[in-house]
Amino acid sequence: MTSAYKLSDITLEQQNKIILNIPHLTVESGKCLALLGENGAGKTSLINLLAFTHRANQGSIHLFDQLVGSKLKPSQRRRIGLVHQQPFLLPGTVADNIRLALSLQGVKRSHIPKLIQQALKQVNLMDFADQVASTLSGGELKRVAIARAIAYQPDILLLDEPFSHLDHRHIQLLEDSINHFAQQSGKTIIFSTHDRFQAQALADATINLVAGKITAAPLLNHYHGNLDQHFFDTGKMKIHVTSELTHARHLAVDPREIIVSPQPLQSSMRNSFSGRLILIAEEGHAIRLTIECAERFHVIISPEALSILNLSLGDTIWLSFKSTAVTVF
Amino acid sequence: MNYFTESLFAALSLITSFDPDIYRIVLTSVSISITATLIAALLAIPAGVAMALNTFRGKASLQHILNTLMSMPTVVIGLLLYGLFSRLGPLGSWGLLYTPTAVIIAEAILIFPIMMNLTIAAVNSADPRLVPTLISLGARPYTLTVHVIRATRYAILAALVTGFGRAIGEVGAAMMLGGNIQGFTRTMTTAIALETSKGEFELGLALGLLLLIIAFALNFALSWLNKS
Repeated sequence: MTSAYKLSDITLEQQNKIILNIPHLTVESGKCLALLGENGAGKTSLINLLAFTHRANQGSIHLFDQLVGSKLKPSQRRRIGLVHQQPFLLPGTVADNIRLALSLQGVKRSHIPKLIQQALKQVNLMDFADQVASTLSGGELKRVAIARAIAYQPDILLLDEPFSHLDHRHIQLLEDSINHFAQQSGKTIIFSTHDRFQAQALADATINLVAGKITAAPLLNHYHGNLDQHFFDTGKMKIHVTSELTHARHLAVDPREIIVSPQPLQSSMRNSFSGRLILIAEEGHAIRLTIECAERFHVIISPEALSILNLSLGDTIWLSFKSTAVTVF
Repeated sequence: MNYFTESLFAALSLITSFDPDIYRIVLTSVSISITATLIAALLAIPAGVAMALNTFRGKASLQHILNTLMSMPTVVIGLLLYGLFSRLGPLGSWGLLYTPTAVIIAEAILIFPIMMNLTIAAVNSADPRLVPTLISLGARPYTLTVHVIRATRYAILAALVTGFGRAIGEVGAAMMLGGNIQGFTRTMTTAIALETSKGEFELGLALGLLLLIIAFALNFALSWLNKS
């Protein structure tokens, strides 16, 4: 399978601060990928790099197995559609905006009206062609921005936080628009979100982004602090780690690797803490428990495990995990 | 006071009787200023957009130089160009001294930094999402410049009006390089300065009133543009 993107040794710095540091990332074409991370994790910066509206200080990016040089070729630009978090529509009508995108991409004038109609149909806004852009609602504006980005039929659609600040109905309509694009064969979609459920529901795969770095660990148990030899000090608790790193600012614990028990376990696991169960929630086909220790921990267990453990809110329970369940970076 | 009111009435009658001398002066002034504005705009607007859109080494210094040039005394520009265009100067053979062309060149140089600075400000005050959006949609340097100008056209038009206003009200360089030759390089400002010192107060006052009307019209246009 060809790769839509291949990033190597990417570093992006702004005002002497490292915003992104990605040694290696490959995005297969034809997949829907979610970039998951908190605010400030570098999601927008990564989307901008992938859209080539910003350039990294170091590293290389291959687009469909072609190394992108200092200038993006028009033929390469045409393969990428970008929708910003708060899309900007130029003055004029909805059709004017889509027409502008098509003419900037060098589409023949005679093909433009048909492509405008086609794009508006994909986002289910057929009657909006002549509406003035400044009169659109937030949800409509995002869908028009998607129509504008897909009008020239790119192979990749990049969406920065597409679902933020939208009500449930508009999220559904937006998901439909994205799915419509995804159903065409070979199309790659990359969207950023801070909503894990949204990521899991729509994407084939998820990339976790923490402080500009890609982490294998899910972001449920992520703490800031300092590494001191074999312990990571979050300021509230010390967690035993096995890492060859001498310096790290972040720690993440895989929520599926944490064992929950009503009593302390007699085991070789180096980390064992007690806390109060404050939340039991359904998450997809699994159950998420939230336990308030010195730090707040999230644990994913199976529904069967929940019925065996017979837990109630407010119970004091024990969490145990191996040092290998912990990632520091 | 009597002298002033008498002169004012005489000036008004000169204006309302469409005195050909007065209107020839106005026409010379307006045509010189429009030409200077258009020449300066042709260079200052693309240069301003390019400077606003790009980051390069020495950009801050260039901005400082532009700011300094904005407040350059007009007589200094007149003096420098006089040195260049006078018979003994390096461009003396072009025979430009005391021609409208010399005045146009001086005024274009005078308003170039003003218009370039206002264009930079216009682009910088545009929505910060404009340029990334255009680039992501496939705009290349030339089309990007065209669309940025289009999106900020009212602010850029305001830069043009400001430049024209500065050119038409300028006296120092116009006097030194034009020489106030009747029917040729006599502009409103040079005429006001010279006619008044010759004792022709009515003529000066009439021209002054017309200049005020033009200034009013320009300010009206500016505030309308700012609203747009």
